[in-house]
Amino acid sequence: MIAEMFEKRKLPSYRYDYAVELMENNEDVIRLLLSKNIIVQNGAYIELDNQFLNFFEGILEVNEEINTSYINENIQQVKEYATYYLQSNSEAERFRYLRNVKSVLQKIGRSTLRNIVDLNRNIDNAFKTEPNYKIKLTKLENYKRKLESIQTLIEQTERLLREEEETFFKLATDEGLKEVRTQLILDLTESRQNLIETRQQIIEYINQIKYQSKFIEKLKQLKYLRDQFEIKHKTNIREVLSHNNAIIFEPKPSYKLKLSIDNLGKDENRQLIIKVRNRYKSAINPTKQLAENLTSKDLELETVKEIYIDLHRVRNDFKQSGSDLFGFLMNYQFVRELSFEERVTVFCQIISMFENELELTDNYLKQNNIEYAVVYPK
Amino acid sequence: MNAPMQTGEIFEILSSGQFICSNSAEARISKLYDIIDENEKYELLYDYFSAIGFLLEKGDEFYYFSRKNESKADLERKLETACKWIDVLDFFKTFDNAFVSGYSFTTQEIVVQIKVDAVLKSKADGLRKVFKLDDKTPYNEVIIKVTESLCKDGFAEIENEILKSYKILSSFKYLEELVTNINIPEEVQNEIPE
Repeated sequence: MIAEMFEKRKLPSYRYDYAVELMENNEDVIRLLLSKNIIVQNGAYIELDNQFLNFFEGILEVNEEINTSYINENIQQVKEYATYYLQSNSEAERFRYLRNVKSVLQKIGRSTLRNIVDLNRNIDNAFKTEPNYKIKLTKLENYKRKLESIQTLIEQTERLLREEEETFFKLATDEGLKEVRTQLILDLTESRQNLIETRQQIIEYINQIKYQSKFIEKLKQLKYLRDQFEIKHKTNIREVLSHNNAIIFEPKPSYKLKLSIDNLGKDENRQLIIKVRNRYKSAINPTKQLAENLTSKDLELETVKEIYIDLHRVRNDFKQSGSDLFGFLMNYQFVRELSFEERVTVFCQIISMFENELELTDNYLKQNNIEYAVVYPK
Repeated sequence: MNAPMQTGEIFEILSSGQFICSNSAEARISKLYDIIDENEKYELLYDYFSAIGFLLEKGDEFYYFSRKNESKADLERKLETACKWIDVLDFFKTFDNAFVSGYSFTTQEIVVQIKVDAVLKSKADGLRKVFKLDDKTPYNEVIIKVTESLCKDGFAEIENEILKSYKILSSFKYLEELVTNINIPEEVQNEIPE
């Protein structure tokens, strides 16, 4: 649970209920922790005690804040222990002070490097994630100050190692101390080199932000002038633009090239031409007119009855009658009633069709103003 | 040395007023950028295009054409375009200060921001007029229209069709440079309220 709370230490609050849930409703553990002051309760929330929090952060080297005073304190401690060492007479005490100096020196090296790593990360974070330009800039300025103080501390430590406590380092002829001292000097050199890089980075970031915020300020001013319709008269925009011949200001050009006649004559382009032609045709020929649907009346069968006079049959009947043709036709019962004129027509038709089967006599009779030849069958 | 075989393609893009940007997601464009960016090629192409009246201009991570002689666009048109850009730039910078080359956004993000940011909302209303849109056009459409115009002018490109996410190209610096180049006299600056 402590691990969980530690991971969530950056959240503003950690609810008591969550802790209970996490411990599977075993509140005794939480109560125990509370009674030992490892965690403190604040209303519905609980948090890790500050001392423990610092302890964990120190052990795990995950601190976010850059603490320069810490190193400063360490330097003072080294100085103090070194003085005690020199002043002390007993060997045992000297040994104890020597051990203290060694541990403090190691701590200095470690925390300096850690501070630089933290600083780099914080700078990056501030630059990339801080949305407010002003805060971003202030943060970076602060980091820059911190960077400078780390640098002073490195210098101080180096002075301490090389000049100020020279006597101590010469007198305390301890192999371990020498090793620690050399290691620290190496660490400090590395730190210094890192700081140079960091300083460049931070200056670049600050410049970028200054440029951006200056740019935004300018843009806002221009926008204001534009909204006031004063931009043309109060700025040199006309001048700037009249010297700017960039194509982007021009309307999009269209190149009207003539078609290559030779190319059009090629077989492979025929399909293309047909396609274009179809499109062109359809543009001017709107919808084609369709015929109306057929009505049910149109679908009804229509038959025309025509009464057909079978001349062959008339002839056969005539052959059997033995009378003359004209007289026969005048009295003949046709399938329908025929007028006198029609009977005369049938008379003529039979004569012309069956001339060979009839005998035309030279006798002529007269009826209804029509003179006709008397015809018998052969 | 002869002109590279992509010269025609380069001309085609640049002569239509587009940019060739190094950070274009379109592999074709960024490849063309690399071709022009080779030292000798740039000079060769510069001379080549110069002979037909175009200046191959080199920006910070982008290339564009400008005319050797008098521009075909009159001052009035240029002013109109520049003012439109100022409006658009101001809008996007209000949306996010960090709206620079490489920035990636979706139109929906901006619409959401409009709902909670009164300044941005009033600027979006102003853009309706600039883009000759109806007063009742929904913000969604306004933003799409503005973003599309940004794409059309070659300052942005669509990154994901489905999510409607767009990316700002390095040519955006051209706009920033243009703004930087405009000088506001100090006495005018003092007149402008904060």
